[in-house]
Amino acid sequence: MSTAVEVDDLSFAHTGADLPALERVSFRVSAGESVALLGPSGAGKTTLLALLDGRLQGWSGRVSVLGAPLDPDRPPPSARRPDTGFVFQEFALVERSSVLRNVLNGSLGRMSPLRALLGSPTKHDLEIARTALADCGIADLAERRVDSLSGGQRQRVAIARCLAQEPRLILADEPVSNLDPARACEILALLTGAARTRGATALFSSHQPDLARRFAQRIIGMRDGRIVFDVPTSELNDDATAELYREVGPIPGIGLRAVS
Amino acid sequence: MAFRGFGGIATSGLIAAAILWSFATTDVEFSRLLSAGPRIADFFGRMFPPDPTVMAEIKKGSAETLRIAILGTLGAVILSVPLGILASETMVSPAVFRPIRTLLAFIRAIPLILVAMLMVGAVGLGPLPGIIAVAFHATGMLAKFYAEAIDGVSRAPIAALESAGAGPLVRLRYAIWPQMAPVVARDTIFRFELNLRESLILGIVGAGGIGFYIQTYVRSFQYDKAASVTMAVVAMVIAIEAINVALRRRFT
Repeated sequence: MSTAVEVDDLSFAHTGADLPALERVSFRVSAGESVALLGPSGAGKTTLLALLDGRLQGWSGRVSVLGAPLDPDRPPPSARRPDTGFVFQEFALVERSSVLRNVLNGSLGRMSPLRALLGSPTKHDLEIARTALADCGIADLAERRVDSLSGGQRQRVAIARCLAQEPRLILADEPVSNLDPARACEILALLTGAARTRGATALFSSHQPDLARRFAQRIIGMRDGRIVFDVPTSELNDDATAELYREVGPIPGIGLRAVS
Repeated sequence: MAFRGFGGIATSGLIAAAILWSFATTDVEFSRLLSAGPRIADFFGRMFPPDPTVMAEIKKGSAETLRIAILGTLGAVILSVPLGILASETMVSPAVFRPIRTLLAFIRAIPLILVAMLMVGAVGLGPLPGIIAVAFHATGMLAKFYAEAIDGVSRAPIAALESAGAGPLVRLRYAIWPQMAPVVARDTIFRFELNLRESLILGIVGAGGIGFYIQTYVRSFQYDKAASVTMAVVAMVIAIEAINVALRRRFT
């Protein structure tokens, strides 16, 4: 089985930060796998996903995505970017545009800039967008403006846009953190299901162990920028999860306690 | 806000010195102010009754002022689109937007009437120098507004399109433009209103429009005709303001 993501000894610190956001992180995701990044807020999950999407520079180590190495100093060439889809935590939709327009936006990276700027969407683009909308159960919302939708509906639009990009790797940053438990299950089922039927790899982050267990084949536990465990879902025990979320000690100089 | 400490005393001293210096070196004589009353009364007396026979000139002048404002605004929009993009920190690097912003501040600092006088010198009398002057002067403000509209949009959708592989202009078209369109519409209408108001006086320096008639009638002591034109100008300003209030309600 080929490898979708390969990370070796990766370290990264945000500019101006005292502590590294990621420290000596190494892991591998096989093509077609669904993997969850589990960990409390501030564990480095968002940073890791954004880095795999090619949006962060200045890291050290070796990272390779879909067989091509990432350059630590510059973003990947735009021709390669559509292969990696990203579902943003806050949806990142154009609020004043229609649902269909937002989903079509996902396919812009696959076109030449001139055609993207001047051309109207082709039948092929529209078909991909309509399929993505139908798969996400929002075909009837196509003409609605995003600013008239609920949180759950927006999350479906965000996923549909990602699918319209036709990615081979889907990265999702806390895709269900804003939703109630029933909606959260629906969305994660949708995301992992759509990835499976398209033969894509899915890597999503979550801070809810139950959801990670239910929808991932493998779980990578993160805390303080490091990987604490990396196990098949069936082998995840409660002690490991508890350790991930154990109360953080007093933070020197601040006098506050961060509670899990 | 109260002035405090040494800085406060120094500031108060400077303001007092500036006022005293202005009085001492400008010939402000109270005798002249006292005799001004009858003279103003005489001036107004000669303005009444306003001469209604100048209706044709008022129509012609107003239409020309309106045309100057419309074409001047169009010119400013055409100039402001590229300059606004180049003055935006979202679209270009500091090496580009800093000098462009300085240039725009410089343009804003030149009064319209001065630009109009230069243009009359350059291209001759008539509405053309007025149009060029309005386009140039308005670009200083409009390009800055456009840049601020670009920089004021939510960044997340831009990052999302970048992640999908879309280039800068494609991101501008599909992620930035839909967000900034209502701001651009509001700013452009606001600038058009200012252009119309400011073009009313352009005729005084020979740059076309209704101001030409005010200047002509005052110079030839036909105050009754000047009064009619002035009343027309005041009516136009009030009308512009009323339309603007109605439009502003739609955009907020």
